[in-house]
Amino acid sequence: MAGVVDVPKPRINCSMLLQHISRPVCFVGRVEKVHPTGKTFTVSDGEGKIATVELNEPLEEELSGIVEVIGIVSTKGVIMASMYNMLREDKGILFDLDLYNEALKVIHDFPQHYPFQVASSG
Amino acid sequence: MTKLSEGAIEALSNGTGGNDAVLQCVNIRKIDGGNGPARFRVMMSDGRHTLSSFMLSTQLNIMAEENRLAPNCICVLKKHVTNMLKDGRRIVIILEIDVIKPAEDVAGKIGEPTPYTEGQTKAPQSAPVPESRPPLQPQNRNEVNRGFNRDFGKKAPSAVPNTPGGTSKVVPIASLNPYQSKWTIRARVTNKSTIRTWSNSRGDGKLFSMEVVDESGEIRVTGFNQEVDKFYTLIEVGKVYYISKCSLKIANKQYTSVKNDYEMTFSGESTVIPCDDSCDVPMVQCDFVSISDLENRDKDAIIDVIGVCKSVEEVTRITTKSNREVTKRTLSLMDMSGKVVTVTLWGEEAEKFDGSGQPIVAIKGAKLSDFGGRSLSASFNSTLMINPDIPEAYKLRGWYDKEGHAMDGQSLTELKGGSGGGNTNWKALSDVKTEHLGHGDKADYYTCIATIVYLRKENCLYQACPSQDCNKKVVDQQNGMYRCEKCDKEFPNFKYRLILSANIADYGDNQWVTCFQESAEAILGQNAAYLGQLKDSNETAFDEIFQQANFNTFVFRNRVKLETYNDESRIKATVMDVKPVDHKDYSKRLIMNIRKLAAQ
Repeated sequence: MAGVVDVPKPRINCSMLLQHISRPVCFVGRVEKVHPTGKTFTVSDGEGKIATVELNEPLEEELSGIVEVIGIVSTKGVIMASMYNMLREDKGILFDLDLYNEALKVIHDFPQHYPFQVASSG
Repeated sequence: MTKLSEGAIEALSNGTGGNDAVLQCVNIRKIDGGNGPARFRVMMSDGRHTLSSFMLSTQLNIMAEENRLAPNCICVLKKHVTNMLKDGRRIVIILEIDVIKPAEDVAGKIGEPTPYTEGQTKAPQSAPVPESRPPLQPQNRNEVNRGFNRDFGKKAPSAVPNTPGGTSKVVPIASLNPYQSKWTIRARVTNKSTIRTWSNSRGDGKLFSMEVVDESGEIRVTGFNQEVDKFYTLIEVGKVYYISKCSLKIANKQYTSVKNDYEMTFSGESTVIPCDDSCDVPMVQCDFVSISDLENRDKDAIIDVIGVCKSVEEVTRITTKSNREVTKRTLSLMDMSGKVVTVTLWGEEAEKFDGSGQPIVAIKGAKLSDFGGRSLSASFNSTLMINPDIPEAYKLRGWYDKEGHAMDGQSLTELKGGSGGGNTNWKALSDVKTEHLGHGDKADYYTCIATIVYLRKENCLYQACPSQDCNKKVVDQQNGMYRCEKCDKEFPNFKYRLILSANIADYGDNQWVTCFQESAEAILGQNAAYLGQLKDSNETAFDEIFQQANFNTFVFRNRVKLETYNDESRIKATVMDVKPVDHKDYSKRLIMNIRKLAAQ
């Protein structure tokens, strides 16, 4: 899990989950349902598809709205989160998930113009 | 309940009626007398029939004026005479009448009387129209709901046109052609223009035009000179008329959205007669185009459109190129496609428009323009309808109340983003050089997103004339007074104004620009007076402001022009407007450009 922090984490949506198994990713989506135990919750991406996120420790706060999750994709397509970041809806400009999804598609359609891998240096 | 004298109407109409008939008053209508006293036309019922051709003799006018003779009251016709009209109809003049039961004491209409007909029909129930020739009417409908069409536009023509014994056949509008001259149509006026006059070398004239519609279609009608006088005041929008004997010709599609290959002109022989039974005639024929589809239409096309008025601006006055002053107002229209378009109204329509409560607005014959992408304008030929009584309007209202009101809608009119007026064309700073912007006769305007990389704080402030609209630099007289040459006055004070020289840059190039008061204050985040004060008192704080302002990114709308100073030509760029970056808009534009590039 420690390896997640220093490594470039591609931004993905649900349709790209399976291409990133066992790799660290960054997933931005809207919180759908939180499991009563607080250890897992579902998120929907800009296309409306749902992914599951699992946490190490149960949630200590109310999770709602748009959230950015960083973690590794399990073999079953579940995001094993090492950290998450809630984008507050009461502050700043409202996050446009559809627009984010469009941008994601552009980044993945033209990887030659978005060389994120070069970012990590250690 | 008082019994009415059934059969009395028939008798009176035939001239065989006696006196003392007990009748119920169904309706009274006042007819303005013009030079003489007013006359009251009354419709009476005997429980079996109604007859509207009763006239109250003038000495009894007071009964109607004091509401003693009022709809629903029961009365006895004591004395009357009948007059025969040229066309064989009878008018019953009421000379003496007693009200035996006042209107308030009568619950309503007694029985189910039908209009008495004797080969020629009368107007049922609605306020009788004072014309001398009875309109040719179908006999199948007796209810009065005129103006309420159910199957808007697509109604199958019912057994309408032929009246037994009538002289003219009513034909559908769709069948009109230049090769047949004897025809009559029965149609509703959907649009009437104002009277326009012209004056050229061949003389003067005036004209007006209107559009009429029936079950089969629509057609445009124009009247010139004498016909304007004959028909203009007679014709009211929304009413139905029998029109005959106009001259047909091929339509000039440029000025109208009316779907008909022909259009017609009133001639000296044309007739226009009001028609009362109009429930079959549709209200208006519109071929609404969805707002999202407007992008696919050509500019200058004439379009019918309907939508919810999401927002409306204040009325403004502008001066046209011909130095005329006009009022205008813009509103934004959204429909179920989720797209929004800006509509401009002019003149009286603009002034009278009330957009409160997000009404449904429909425009027939609006002009599509490519201003700001796509926008619509109501011309003198367009018809503006607010909350029209048509199915499309109800559908829109239902959709808007449920979901539409929460939508932001994507506007076609500001597709290029940024300022609505002028040229909102997006450029990169490198484009300015490669496209030689500003090299022409006129200045060029462009919009760009750029970052401030340098601000010149020396000489950014000057002392200006304190007069309201004068910004001229004042001369320090060194005696505590400052002189303005333009106002030719001296003042004990001045106001600080900004002229800020800055260098802005984007990924491709950079540009020196000059920012005046408003844009400079926006960039620095302080007003000129405060800056002037700081400069004199606290140099550190003054510098700090410039440090903070550096490296900020904005949307700049610039004006660029080639200027020559003593044999040297240089491009001078001025910042007209500075706005914070709308990231959503910027992202959308970038994604659109990327996709466009990829497709090439």
